[in-house]
Amino acid sequence: MAERKTKKETASTKDTTAAVTKQAPAKAAIGEQPQKAKEARVGVFICHCGTNIAGSMDINAVQDYAKTIPNVAYVDNYKYMCSMPGQAVIDKAIHENKLTGVVVAACSPRLHEPTFRTATKEGGLNPFKFEMANIREQNSWVHMHDQEGATDKAKDAVRIAVAKASLLEDLFPKSVPVEKAAMVVGAGIAGMQAALDLANAGIKTYLIEKTPTIGGRMSQLDKTFPTLDCSQCILTPKMVDVGRNENIELMTYSEVESVEGYIGNFDVTIRKKARGVLSVGEAEAMGIVGGGCNGCGDCEAVCPVVQPNTFEEGMKPRKAIYIQHPQVVPLLYTIDFESCIKCELCVKICGEKKAIELNKEDEFVKVKVGTAILATGYDIFPVENKTEWGYKRYENVITSLEFERLICASGPTGGHMVRPSDGVAPKRVAFLLCAGSRDNTGNGKPYCSRFCCMYSLKHAHQLIEKMPGVQPYIFYMDIRSFGKMYEEFYYRIQDEGAKFIRGRVSNILEDPGSKNLMVFADDTLLDRPMKLEVDLVVLAAAIQPAADTNRTRKLFGVSCSMDGWLLEAHPKLNPCGTTTAGVFLAGACQAPKDIPDTVASAEGAASAASIPIHVGHVELEPYFAVCIEEKCAGCGMCVNLCPYTALALIEKDGRKVMQVTEAKCKGCGTCGGFCPGGAIWMNHFATPQIIAQIDAFLLGGEQ
Amino acid sequence: MARIKGYPEALEAKLRDRYVYGEDTNGKFTETVEKISMSIPHMCYQCGTCTASCPSAPRSSYRIRKFVRRVALGLETEALTDPDLWLCTTCYSCTDRCPRDIAPTDVIMAMRNLAFKRDIIPVNFLKTVQAIYTTGHGVPNNDVNRAARVKLGMDADPPTTHTYKEFIPGIQKILDYYKLKANADRIVKEREG
Ligand SMILES: Cc1cc2nc3c(=O)[nH]c(=O)nc-3n(C[C@H](O)[C@H](O)[C@H](O)COP(=O)(O)OP(=O)(O)OC[C@H]3O[C@@H](n4cnc5c(N)ncnc54)[C@H](O)[C@@H]3O)c2cc1C
Ligand code: SF4
Ligand code: SF4
Repeated sequence: MAERKTKKETASTKDTTAAVTKQAPAKAAIGEQPQKAKEARVGVFICHCGTNIAGSMDINAVQDYAKTIPNVAYVDNYKYMCSMPGQAVIDKAIHENKLTGVVVAACSPRLHEPTFRTATKEGGLNPFKFEMANIREQNSWVHMHDQEGATDKAKDAVRIAVAKASLLEDLFPKSVPVEKAAMVVGAGIAGMQAALDLANAGIKTYLIEKTPTIGGRMSQLDKTFPTLDCSQCILTPKMVDVGRNENIELMTYSEVESVEGYIGNFDVTIRKKARGVLSVGEAEAMGIVGGGCNGCGDCEAVCPVVQPNTFEEGMKPRKAIYIQHPQVVPLLYTIDFESCIKCELCVKICGEKKAIELNKEDEFVKVKVGTAILATGYDIFPVENKTEWGYKRYENVITSLEFERLICASGPTGGHMVRPSDGVAPKRVAFLLCAGSRDNTGNGKPYCSRFCCMYSLKHAHQLIEKMPGVQPYIFYMDIRSFGKMYEEFYYRIQDEGAKFIRGRVSNILEDPGSKNLMVFADDTLLDRPMKLEVDLVVLAAAIQPAADTNRTRKLFGVSCSMDGWLLEAHPKLNPCGTTTAGVFLAGACQAPKDIPDTVASAEGAASAASIPIHVGHVELEPYFAVCIEEKCAGCGMCVNLCPYTALALIEKDGRKVMQVTEAKCKGCGTCGGFCPGGAIWMNHFATPQIIAQIDAFLLGGEQ
Repeated sequence: MARIKGYPEALEAKLRDRYVYGEDTNGKFTETVEKISMSIPHMCYQCGTCTASCPSAPRSSYRIRKFVRRVALGLETEALTDPDLWLCTTCYSCTDRCPRDIAPTDVIMAMRNLAFKRDIIPVNFLKTVQAIYTTGHGVPNNDVNRAARVKLGMDADPPTTHTYKEFIPGIQKILDYYKLKANADRIVKEREG
């Protein structure tokens, strides 16, 4: 009982922001466990899952066996344990048999743990007195052709689960308050849409964008498939809305520096990169009346330093003080300090507005938010790595993004589609689909980049429409036109005269004189190799996660899949969530997505991120570590091991002991497994419970 | 009858049954070729990068992509009896570029091995075997080459079995062990008498 007292003390010294502890969970001393196990009365419920389970094993044999396991007071089976009648079986059995614990042998905790916890609770027990035995995913599905083996394995699984259920304890979830603010990282169409939705739902939203303007890739596009509306025309109203919305605090030219805390209470530090130019608001705050940047551009005219404009894919120059394009939001110049020579010509011409500060340094701002959305988008795969197509070696081989800028009226050529080598309009243009996508060589991306088919069709259309007589050739393996009105769009472009050649281009050679290109492919439908001379080649290059994605995701504790895209909590049922509570994903940072899918996912993420904020508090699984203070030697070695910085050493009664911030602890068990003195108790995965499971397995129940 | 010379025969050939029947396919063949070639032709998605890379394709009826397809489907007889099987130069251009990381060249080599087991092989390949057996070279040196070498300031013969003839028996031992020479002689004799 001594320990119980200690636990209460621990609870009362807790960080007060962290929680409203309903009741300190009662925990028996380790010595009491066998005693407790003797009193246990466990009910075992075996699910058929239709034929999913019952088709591969002998349910009756498992049931008969379960009756012989120590502590088992009741056994039953049902066709669908998760159905309402199935749950009623559990509820009734608990009452009638005075059960102290419940084991359901069925699918996975991920699927139905919440269901059966609720059923356990309905029966009058603490919901954490429930344990699941997985006899479907890890058994019947993989041992479909081994009835006997599957039955034996199910017996083992049930025996092990009963051993744990006999020792389970009442636990009480913690409730933590949620900050009524959210953060969105990345202000492409995904981030903008998510921020607008959150803001319109009355939530203060910080929108963090690393470049000087919002808009992302979509602002680089000319038209958008399949409706062909002008990209900027549909995007700029949203950009202006973002800039004006009172609930959105826009931080451009900024990056997330560090993140601390947990769902409901993230403390985020943002690095505002030195921009060297004051906004009107900032100038006012500094007492410069009528000052700050009004976007007049006088500075740009006098700046002597010329650099490539990345927004124009390097095809247009900009100055060291610049805006990327006329529609930027915010309309605010930025100094590229890497190339600025501090000649001060801009400072002079800006004059009384006093907007320019040449000695600016990065600033750090701290904000607190309840939830966060990552919307960091994508970059283009460096397609020059596929040397056979000659990108960056042959002048007239360009990427599709360069094509977008060249055909765009506000682009470097004013919308005149010309080829780079001689500024002449091309007559024959080859489009190479899957340029680096669907490639398993290691030099390329194994996945489909998803929008290249559709935008290449769009590009063919734009050529035919703008430049009568031009012949587009589309080299494809499959045309993936899966969306609403997409197949119809494919039909239309074929009807307009684009030529489709089913074959992947093996290599390209350049005629050094004319700079024309020889494209080699196999017309697989004719079964004949072909050599086609064209004036321009457009590579529909694969895409990959944006450059800084890896650093950013780690700050938020988000995982990524093998190919680097951010990992959703469940690919079908929770595509916007992540395994870190309170952090969500929007747009192409999760996987290649076109604009309709991006916007849909952004709205999904915004909705999911607003739920904890509207509820005002979140319940955390009570799986946290607990320090058994009598045993803790205060060595502090666990503190640095914790991946979630949930542990600290504190002074108590004149000695050092470890303290857990329960809301931060994910119950991963790293500290519990390590502590040399056995002073850390992992709720729900406690050492005696796990030892009992191992014993049950190894000793076959003959303890 | 013969209104246009060769027409009825050509038409007859065109009107032949061209279905692929279930019994034409042999799943074991795919497996065997994969084992010998240590490659994965069943993963081919028929993009044609191989045929487009192939120096043989534009100069002949040889289509590497089609051979990979036949392996994937298990069309053993069709693949092994097609004389085009012997038109690969083993340059490995296709292997360099295949986006599915298949080695079509090695797939061809595997099928040549299987064909040879059935005595399917062009005579010129066998003559190469005979040349190696007697000289250690598939393409032995000749007088024109010798003169050119001397003119360029080199020895008339390269420092191979041409110069070191004592190594030829070693090569013969290897070829004999695999009965390559004996089989070559036998087949050449059968064909050329
Ligand atoms: C050539 C081409 C043509 C296309 N045409 C069409 C079309 O016609 N129709 C269509 O539906 N789709 C089209 N697309 C697809 C479209 O571009 C994407 O669907 C869309 O841009 C995805 O939006 P996003 O916001 O998820 O990502 P992005 O547009 O990439 O935006 C991400 C934003 O996050 C910022 N960011 C990145 N990392 C960080 C960080 N660590 N911290 C802070 N900010 C960060 C970036 O600067 C950027 O502003 C095309 C794509 C290409 C390449
Ligand atoms: S290049 Fe590879 S994937 Fe493409 S057709 Fe040839 S073998 Fe198949
Ligand atoms: S290795 Fe053979 S099949 Fe492949 S490209 Fe060369 S000649 Fe053609």
